[in-house]
Amino acid sequence: MSSLFIAGHEFHSRLFTGTGKYASADAMMDSLTASESELVTLSLRRMDLKNQTDNILKPLQQQRIKLLPNTSGARTAKEAVFAAELAREALETNWVKLEIHPDPRYLMPDGMETLLAAEELIKKGFVVMPYVHADPVLCKRLEEVGCQCVMPLGSPIGSNMGLASRPFLEIIIEQSTVPVIIDAGIGAPSDAALALEIGADAVLVNTAMAVARQPAKMGKAFRLAVEAGRMAYESGLGERRVQAQATSPLTDFLGALS
Amino acid sequence: MKIMLNDVPHEFSGKTLQDLLIQLDKSEQGIAIAINQQVVPKSLWTSTKLNEQSQVFIFESIAGG
Repeated sequence: MSSLFIAGHEFHSRLFTGTGKYASADAMMDSLTASESELVTLSLRRMDLKNQTDNILKPLQQQRIKLLPNTSGARTAKEAVFAAELAREALETNWVKLEIHPDPRYLMPDGMETLLAAEELIKKGFVVMPYVHADPVLCKRLEEVGCQCVMPLGSPIGSNMGLASRPFLEIIIEQSTVPVIIDAGIGAPSDAALALEIGADAVLVNTAMAVARQPAKMGKAFRLAVEAGRMAYESGLGERRVQAQATSPLTDFLGALS
Repeated sequence: MKIMLNDVPHEFSGKTLQDLLIQLDKSEQGIAIAINQQVVPKSLWTSTKLNEQSQVFIFESIAGG
């Protein structure tokens, strides 16, 4: 399986993962370890001054997993830029998953604010990974302003509905000259395999792994699915046809019996 | 002196941002600080003095997707 390069960084795994919704830090680490993911997302919030929070940073840093802060919680470009600057300080990385979703019900990304924020963050030296709708025009615009990849959604965050946006993802994949990472909605390993089979460069999975009864086993299942999907893509899938095409030669060797 | 910390009045006896973190007994790992809407780089925490007008926000990294 070939490596994936984003902004000059080599990834051996095409499975990116989120850290949210796990029952415990141990469950998270077991799942991430089994998944062999090399990039995980984190978010920021105002510090809880009364309670000590579960430290998930240390085990992640010990595993040498690359950290990708997101701008979740931002509702405008201005808030997202501020969040990215905070995240750069907090996690000592200029990589950012840019996500701006003003509506808490469907968490649909705001494309206009995302484009504005992306432009500004790129000027400030960030590696911007924008989470967007499966909008081929917007993905091109983001590429033009200098985003190092695009992250279109398969379906709403946490919905487990898989690649509901598939026809549009296929257009994005066909047109993009930067890596396409399908983010959000991937509910089963088969969704992830399909994403890679149709030519996505990677997927980002969180909920499906985190809420599984056995998160470690599910992490491994996603790893295998992503590897299978990518290998299938690299080896070349056959064309779909309406009619049958025989795999055994249709000779008349039983003709004498009739 | 009284500063505003994460939108709540906070009694503070030190001088700098670094003093505040020591007082709060919080790890410096994975956190970021803004004063009056400006991000303060880690390298300036020891030299950044707080005053009664300081609106300090401390952020921490947590799990997320």
